[in-house]
Amino acid sequence: MSFLHDYIYYIGALSLILIGLYIILVKKNLIKVIIGLSILDTGIYLLLISLGYIKEGTAPIFSKPGLKAENMVDPVPQALVLTAIVIGVAIMALALSLAVKLYKHYGTLNLRKIKEQRW
Amino acid sequence: MVNPVLLIIIPLGLAFIIPLFGFISKKIEKFIPVIALLSNLIISLRLLPQVLEEPIHVNIGGFSTPFCINLVAGPVGILFSMLIALAGLLISVYALDYIREGAKEKYHILYLLLITGATGVVLTGDIFNLFVFFEILCISSYSLVAYFGDRAGVESAIKYLIQGALGSSLILIGIGLLYGQFGTLNMADIASNIHSVQSIPVFIPLVLFITGFGVEAAIFPLNAWLPDAHSSAPSSISAILSGIAIEVGLYAVVRVIFTLFGASSILTFLLFLGVITLLIGELCAFSQENIKRMLAYSSIGQIGLIVFALSIASSYGITGGLFQIVSHTFGKALLFLAVGYMIYRTGSMNISSFKGMGKKMPYTSFAFTIGAFSLVGLPPFIGFPSKFMIVKAALLRHETLFTLLIILILLATIIEGAYFFKVVQVIYFKQGENKLSQKTETAPLSVLIPIFIFVGLIVVIGIYPKLITNILNSSASELLNRIDYIKNIIP
Repeated sequence: MSFLHDYIYYIGALSLILIGLYIILVKKNLIKVIIGLSILDTGIYLLLISLGYIKEGTAPIFSKPGLKAENMVDPVPQALVLTAIVIGVAIMALALSLAVKLYKHYGTLNLRKIKEQRW
Repeated sequence: MVNPVLLIIIPLGLAFIIPLFGFISKKIEKFIPVIALLSNLIISLRLLPQVLEEPIHVNIGGFSTPFCINLVAGPVGILFSMLIALAGLLISVYALDYIREGAKEKYHILYLLLITGATGVVLTGDIFNLFVFFEILCISSYSLVAYFGDRAGVESAIKYLIQGALGSSLILIGIGLLYGQFGTLNMADIASNIHSVQSIPVFIPLVLFITGFGVEAAIFPLNAWLPDAHSSAPSSISAILSGIAIEVGLYAVVRVIFTLFGASSILTFLLFLGVITLLIGELCAFSQENIKRMLAYSSIGQIGLIVFALSIASSYGITGGLFQIVSHTFGKALLFLAVGYMIYRTGSMNISSFKGMGKKMPYTSFAFTIGAFSLVGLPPFIGFPSKFMIVKAALLRHETLFTLLIILILLATIIEGAYFFKVVQVIYFKQGENKLSQKTETAPLSVLIPIFIFVGLIVVIGIYPKLITNILNSSASELLNRIDYIKNIIP
């Protein structure tokens, strides 16, 4: 049990990443693929956050006397995740607006039926 | 001293000022990219002599080196930023007349953002910033592919977006794993801690990086998006994607392998990957009827050749690979620009519709011929010295493997020659149907000037390659001497 207790964040992050990958690779509906992309991104954010996480740690601000640096959470991964979330939102917005356009042109979101461009 | 930060700030700032200029007059909007790229080119040229003596690095925010976000303007960075600024400038001049419909304002904003992303990738010294700039480059190219909003464009853009987003997610995982191990994001700092890639925790990020950046660089088997995206984008965007975007992806792969990881053991694998990419690209290009699709597959082939040359990992081989990047940028940008105008006139992308084009559009056809000959590698043009250098570098290794691979590469060059000569033959020696008048139509000046500057560059550097061998040589030594790169940044 202690293994699960120690590594629960990494296990969660990895399973989210794998679920996202599975959805992207297998699903036929474009909206589902985009949701898969979003789940994959969420998994990565969780992975990055858990890299710097300390149980019952505090924010890295020396606001009160007696706070020690060892108990502080690493702020860099959190900054990275903030940036990555913004990028993820941009990609999601673009993907969804392209999906709307695609539906207007083809009348379907089934990726197996949309294949005018091919090798 | 000129600050290299300006190379990123000027296009980024001007990109978001474009809508403000739009309030004053809709006509000046399209000149903003030209101004931004011209100033970028001048700054790069002014930085060049300093950089050849010693790489410049700038710490942003005034923190000391491992803790700050830094820019490293070494010979490689300046070589690429010069290439981006030059090709971008000429293509933006072309776009003055070419882009007539659609949301023109957004086109120019996205174009400048694409340039910002590409310049940022080649100049940054921080692995996370590399990712951010890479995403700026990718997102703006996804949306530019769908610029016209037609069936083909939207479909290719969504394909490109899904594959590209998956690739960049992999890069982010790799960054997370590296940060977990080394606690730093500075490339030189990470590089000084990595001594071998044999251990699994270091090897996994390397694989993730190569896969992630390889999607943008279109290395086989990650190149499924490229022919669709490059053929259905507007021609000026095809030119910038083929000439700049995939080269920047390739730069990221090379930087990660040589500088960040020092992973010379993986190069044999890339050697084979390069040759396979080359053969697949050229074979697919041979069977295409659509001219832009043919050029897109030819880009895949050229990327394969560049990957092969860079993986030889001798100083001669890397110089040849970088030379090939320059020659591919000029050649392919020229071809896409020339073809774009021919398509504009004929209204069809089919090769057979170009019959009799040699008489109808003599200047554009002439430029197309020069570009095609240069890419094949005929002597007086820039493609010849670059291909010659690659072949010589491989033969200098004196190994049977390299001799065999060179035979395959020369075979691929013959295929390349076959399909380019086929198009040239259609243009000059097939009679067009006389449904339209046979009178010559000259393209507007803003189209002819960039095309003929490209032609001039191809011919001049082809005849006198010493013009750029100096910077190519110092770039190759920057990539090979990992220790010097680290010492330069972390004293």
